[in-house]
Amino acid sequence: MHFVFKTRYGQDLDLFKHRGQRFWYGLLALLLAAAPLTLSDFYLGEAAWVFIYAVAGIGVMLLVGYTGLVSLGHAAFLAIGAYAHAILMQHGWPLPFSLLTAALLAAGVGFLLGRPTLRMTGIYLAIATLAFAAVVEQVIVHWQSMTGGFRGMVVPKAELFGLDLSRPAPFYGLCLAVLLLSLWMALNVLRGPTGRAMNAVRDSEISAQSMGIDLAHVRSIAFALSAGFTGLAGGLFAHQLGYLAPDAFTLLLSIQLLLMVVVGGLGSLHGVIFGAVFLGLLPQGIALLRDLLPPAVGQIPGLEPGVFGLILMAFLIYEPLGLYGRWRKIRQFLEEFPLYRHATHKRQRSYLRTGRVR
Amino acid sequence: MSGVHGETLLQARNLSLSFGGVKAVSDVSFDVKKGEILAVIGPNGAGKTTVLNLISRLYDGQDGGSLILDGEDFTRLPQHRVAHLGIARTFQNTELFEHESVLRNLLIGLHRHRRTSLLGELFFDPAVKRQELDFRRRAEDVIDLLDLQPYREQAIASLPYGVRKLVEVGRALCLGPKLLLLDEPSSGLNPEETEGASFWIEDINEDFGATIIMVEHDMNLVSQVAHRVLAMADGKVLTVGTPDEVRNHPDVLRAYLGTEAG
Repeated sequence: MHFVFKTRYGQDLDLFKHRGQRFWYGLLALLLAAAPLTLSDFYLGEAAWVFIYAVAGIGVMLLVGYTGLVSLGHAAFLAIGAYAHAILMQHGWPLPFSLLTAALLAAGVGFLLGRPTLRMTGIYLAIATLAFAAVVEQVIVHWQSMTGGFRGMVVPKAELFGLDLSRPAPFYGLCLAVLLLSLWMALNVLRGPTGRAMNAVRDSEISAQSMGIDLAHVRSIAFALSAGFTGLAGGLFAHQLGYLAPDAFTLLLSIQLLLMVVVGGLGSLHGVIFGAVFLGLLPQGIALLRDLLPPAVGQIPGLEPGVFGLILMAFLIYEPLGLYGRWRKIRQFLEEFPLYRHATHKRQRSYLRTGRVR
Repeated sequence: MSGVHGETLLQARNLSLSFGGVKAVSDVSFDVKKGEILAVIGPNGAGKTTVLNLISRLYDGQDGGSLILDGEDFTRLPQHRVAHLGIARTFQNTELFEHESVLRNLLIGLHRHRRTSLLGELFFDPAVKRQELDFRRRAEDVIDLLDLQPYREQAIASLPYGVRKLVEVGRALCLGPKLLLLDEPSSGLNPEETEGASFWIEDINEDFGATIIMVEHDMNLVSQVAHRVLAMADGKVLTVGTPDEVRNHPDVLRAYLGTEAG
């Protein structure tokens, strides 16, 4: 067990809580940076997918895990980011500006979505965001002069100051850099007043308001931040796909993004990474599963969404804290080894919250 | 009884609210002086909590009346703006941020003192860092006052009820309130904790200079700390006076016992 003895307030603000953490995260970053030297192009491509999912997952997590708002429409923000980035690149914008503008555009749309959905929670908000995603999909289909409609559009090659970034190794580096930057910014928001206000809205709207937190504003900001990170991922997503068409941004993708943060573990950025690794590996897993199962079952066309649904349900029932929650339990078990008590993580219900106004 | 000035802090005039056909509060008027501790008592359903909820603007669409704090009319102010006036409150059954630590709950109480922008927070610029350090110093004062040191890093969900109630008071204090509304501070506390409550209520009143309105059933606690008592029944004010006056008032006895005072 590692107890940190705090002697100054600044320690609360440190990103790494003790030297051990700094060492292990540093080692991980070093390994990831050195990976292109040893890994083949195929694995670098797969890793880039994981990084892109993780950036999008940060966005989803800020909304779902930290503000307590469910969204079934995040594929739309990914699409807005992807198309905006591709179109700006076509017009000759340099990659960093184009990527940033795409993210800001998605954030703006997210901010606007926060207003009409102000009074909605749970299933109603999920339906509203679902409808929003459908609207965005239709806009992409019908705005042919910009998006190419159903025919789709070619995404310009990723390049920066004449450097070709479209090869697997440099693109892997770009995705890793964007992910690290996004993680840093998300951590900054979460340890500051805005992050706390988001948590407050999640846990009790009524006392958040009585503490002077403007619900409408915080919800809109949460939507904007969430959409911004997802839009940023959208830009990278466009490069990774190489060719954009509306059918890349379906309901299934929105569900996958939600699945990622639930399976990873709601309410932690570790959960995002766990979830992204899981989501990145899942297609390979399902492909293996298809071969193992008898052909009558294995070749059913709708197998993938079905498996996603089953996994989501299994996690909600058996491990609501996700992969990260499981990992923490295992770690605690090892740290306390002979003294671990079976009831430590027994789930209990609290019946204290009566007399609520709403 | 130190700190009570002649000036009026809160003026509540003709407060009325009905839920459907039920008049929860009708025509309630009272004044609270600066530095005062006013206790609101009455049998169940008298409308005590409703009065607190009206002052903290939890209920919109009140039927009439006006609320004035320090000369400023806030009868129609949105709920979240009321905190910025300097009115803080606690809830009868505690409404804390369950998944967060005690410290983070207190820091949320400091939210109205936020001066930084989202852009600065995204990059955690020096202004944000200074503000965060300053917030922690302020929260520490409250932790000291309420003796919450052992629980600083613990999640609310793992705390006993008595401590949660204290954390909620602490969160309200972090707001730096002129007027503090306490909804049944002693409910759910054991006798020892209730005795402690009388001490911290007086500390808050004297050290933080907060004027307090508290809804309370425990008459011992009320007579120990309250300067004045407002007795209510059936949504109306029965009487206002010192604890002893109110306790022996015939209308109050009738409301509690249901018979003529002997």
